[in-house]
Amino acid sequence: MLATTSAATMCGISGQPVRVEVHVASGLPAYTIVGLPDATCRESRDRVRAAILSSGLTFPQQRVTVNLAPSGLRKIGAGLDLAIAMGIVVASEQATKEVVQRIRSMAFLGELGLDGAVRGIAGTLPMAAALDADELVVPMVNAGEAELLARHVVRPVAHLTELLGALDGKAPWPDPPPAPRRAESPAGPDLAHVRGQPFARLAAEVAAAGGHHLLLVGPPGAGKTMLAERVPSLLPRLDPDAALEVTSIHSAAAEPLPAGRLIDQPPFRAPHQTASMVSIIGGGSHALRPGEVSLAHRGVLFMDEMGEFPAVVLDGLRQPLESGSIRVSRAQASATMPAGFLLVAAMNPCPCGHGGSLRCECSEPMVRRYRRRVSGPLLDRFDLRLVVDVPDRHQLADSTPGESSASVACRVAQVRARARQRGVAANSRLAATQLDECSILDEPARAMLERALDEGRLSGRGLVRVRAVALTLDDLRGGDGHLDREVVAQALMLRTEIDLRTDSVVRA
Amino acid sequence: MMSIDDDLAATVALSGLPGMGPSRLRSMVAADAPSRTWERLAAGRPVVLDRPFPEIRAAEWSDALRADPAAILARHVVAGIGVVRPGDPGYPGRLADEHDAPAVLFSRGDPSAADAQHPAVAIVGTRRSTAYGEGVARALGAELAASGVTVVSGLALGIDGAAHVGATSTEVDGEGADPSGARRVAGPVAVVANGLDVVYPRRHRDLSARVARLGAVLSEVPIGARPERWRFPLRNRLIAALAPVLVVVESARGGGSMHTVREADDRGRTVMAVPGPVTSVVSVGPNQLLVDGCAPCRDADDVRIALGLSTMPSGARAPRRQSTLDEAAILDAFAWTPATVDQLAERSRLPLAQVSIALADLVAAGEVVARAGAFERSGTPR
Repeated sequence: MLATTSAATMCGISGQPVRVEVHVASGLPAYTIVGLPDATCRESRDRVRAAILSSGLTFPQQRVTVNLAPSGLRKIGAGLDLAIAMGIVVASEQATKEVVQRIRSMAFLGELGLDGAVRGIAGTLPMAAALDADELVVPMVNAGEAELLARHVVRPVAHLTELLGALDGKAPWPDPPPAPRRAESPAGPDLAHVRGQPFARLAAEVAAAGGHHLLLVGPPGAGKTMLAERVPSLLPRLDPDAALEVTSIHSAAAEPLPAGRLIDQPPFRAPHQTASMVSIIGGGSHALRPGEVSLAHRGVLFMDEMGEFPAVVLDGLRQPLESGSIRVSRAQASATMPAGFLLVAAMNPCPCGHGGSLRCECSEPMVRRYRRRVSGPLLDRFDLRLVVDVPDRHQLADSTPGESSASVACRVAQVRARARQRGVAANSRLAATQLDECSILDEPARAMLERALDEGRLSGRGLVRVRAVALTLDDLRGGDGHLDREVVAQALMLRTEIDLRTDSVVRA
Repeated sequence: MMSIDDDLAATVALSGLPGMGPSRLRSMVAADAPSRTWERLAAGRPVVLDRPFPEIRAAEWSDALRADPAAILARHVVAGIGVVRPGDPGYPGRLADEHDAPAVLFSRGDPSAADAQHPAVAIVGTRRSTAYGEGVARALGAELAASGVTVVSGLALGIDGAAHVGATSTEVDGEGADPSGARRVAGPVAVVANGLDVVYPRRHRDLSARVARLGAVLSEVPIGARPERWRFPLRNRLIAALAPVLVVVESARGGGSMHTVREADDRGRTVMAVPGPVTSVVSVGPNQLLVDGCAPCRDADDVRIALGLSTMPSGARAPRRQSTLDEAAILDAFAWTPATVDQLAERSRLPLAQVSIALADLVAAGEVVARAGAFERSGTPR
């Protein structure tokens, strides 16, 4: 007999519906799975057989063929176990007519243990989004994720016998786990903990408000990491659609979800400099898994010691920085994954960390080699480049806390709202022509910029970026797009020439 | 078949032998005609020199001695490198009384720029200079060159380079401003420790070309000679010898510039030092020189007086730009060390917007320079 059940598999960060067809016919006992299963998926044979037997049913001593359609799509992981098991139960005529009828409008997601337990899987949320079934059977631990969509009747189960019992009507459907209370605390540590360093704080605020990428250069102990960790707390809370998108990506990557299940705070990702190209950009040989750039979507990607990352990784960042998404292609499949993050990078000025100052012990070629790791085009993406130094001692002792994240976040949210009125997500996305439409440089400010241009302290591209930052500064003070010397001077100072490429000491 | 050209070629070839220093070369050239010496060595026979030099055995140079001296000289001619020996026109007169005067001197540009008839000043200092030191060196170089003083330096990074950047910056203004030629801009002179086929450090390639075009780049080693450590002190003795006044702008204690100071002292040259912040590591050298009784050098006038070119400050210093109150507070906040915007804001207790405006204006006015992202006072506003 033939049976068909619905399930799904992952491709990149999106789910793809899969029809599981099970054919049980007379013949020599055999059990084959066709339809491009990966190794984990093929091994479901042994799990499913043991789980069926452990649940008090019989495994057909006949020819069992499982086909996973569409057959051209690669099936990844163990999430199809439950659908295959249900297909075999139906095809071997161990289910009642009512059950067979009911299963047609259901979909099954879950991995089986040998004892019949239903185990959690990665990507429940995106896979659920791809399914049209009325009822969705999911592992108990993934129930919260599946319910976020509010599209299906979600039936969480912990064991195959529970599922069979509930389908037969012998037992009620198990209750979903109680929804944990949502944490109301803001994302990450608070900006109030940063003592002194008013300009570095301003840079963090401007980065959050305008979506301007931020590069912090300074010796160890200058507070680069401390500042970077606080940028997410300045970003607005994610709106429901964005939260669902971000949660979906994290679900696909099998990242642990917060207690409230929905990720509604901007994520903060801080990959280590030894991370591989694939783990940062995404991909992988058998499953296209989202990388750190996608996990940081709508949040902050923090690269500490940026100069220590391999050059291929750094250059791989250029596409997502440009387009807000990353396309990963492999021989078998390709996927476009969102990667719209705010890049906050930190690096030492030279290998010893004390560069520029007279404490520095590095030779000229050493410094040049170190700085050459960050390519010019990548450096160009940073609207905000700031040198931070260890604060003066009395500043550290000063006990008055700075402004809190919550109060800065209010201003940031207003600036973001204004950017949306201009038709972009953030001011950093404004093109030169749009900048002309929504801002006016007054005469003294224009003179200031022209002088910097004439003296070679500013490039043509830099001029546009400085204007965008000046507009963000103007938005932050509640201005009307009238850019004066005050905001232009600050924007210029926020883009100090770090001289990472041309450390020319003597200028003619 | 001896000729003067053979001797010249042999001298050039001898000067390029590995490990050949100026005094050994000089005593070799003095002992016999260089062409005969070369022939002896090439034939594998020893050459006996006056003490303290040991007998020279050809074996130590067997590879280098296979070269043809005429071809070596021809390569210099083709590369446009001048070759002069003591007594030749163009050989700097100030080197004539040197105990170890170079037996041969290579030049790009016009070696007469180093002639004794031009007043000259040597400006030297550390490679790890601050914006203050570079600003002072650049201003000294520019003003002195414009008033007809030859600026001699070593073309190293930092102070040396800054002095020549200054000295080569006035070429157009100077010549155009004074067509009579009475107060011509003096050509700069650089003395380097390597062959003139390469520029070391590479970053100064353009600067080196400018110096050669306006004045001269000199070396006592032939093309192909690499910048070896032991050649730098020898280069320093030529810098000290080529100018009656030596100005040390910035130098750490025990820096290479202090070696140049000793060489200048030995020759009875006037040594001047640029005072610097007592907190700056690279002003320790010049400040110590001041304590030891050297004359201070505040500006080009001080140097001109030391050279006997004028007896009084010209008083023609450009009027200082009037600073605003904010700018004055920011300049105070620097305390003559590099600072970030944060540090300036904290020290001056001014709002960020005012700090930014004041800094932007100070940078535009040249009183402050941005370097490696931090800011430094330049000491020499435009």
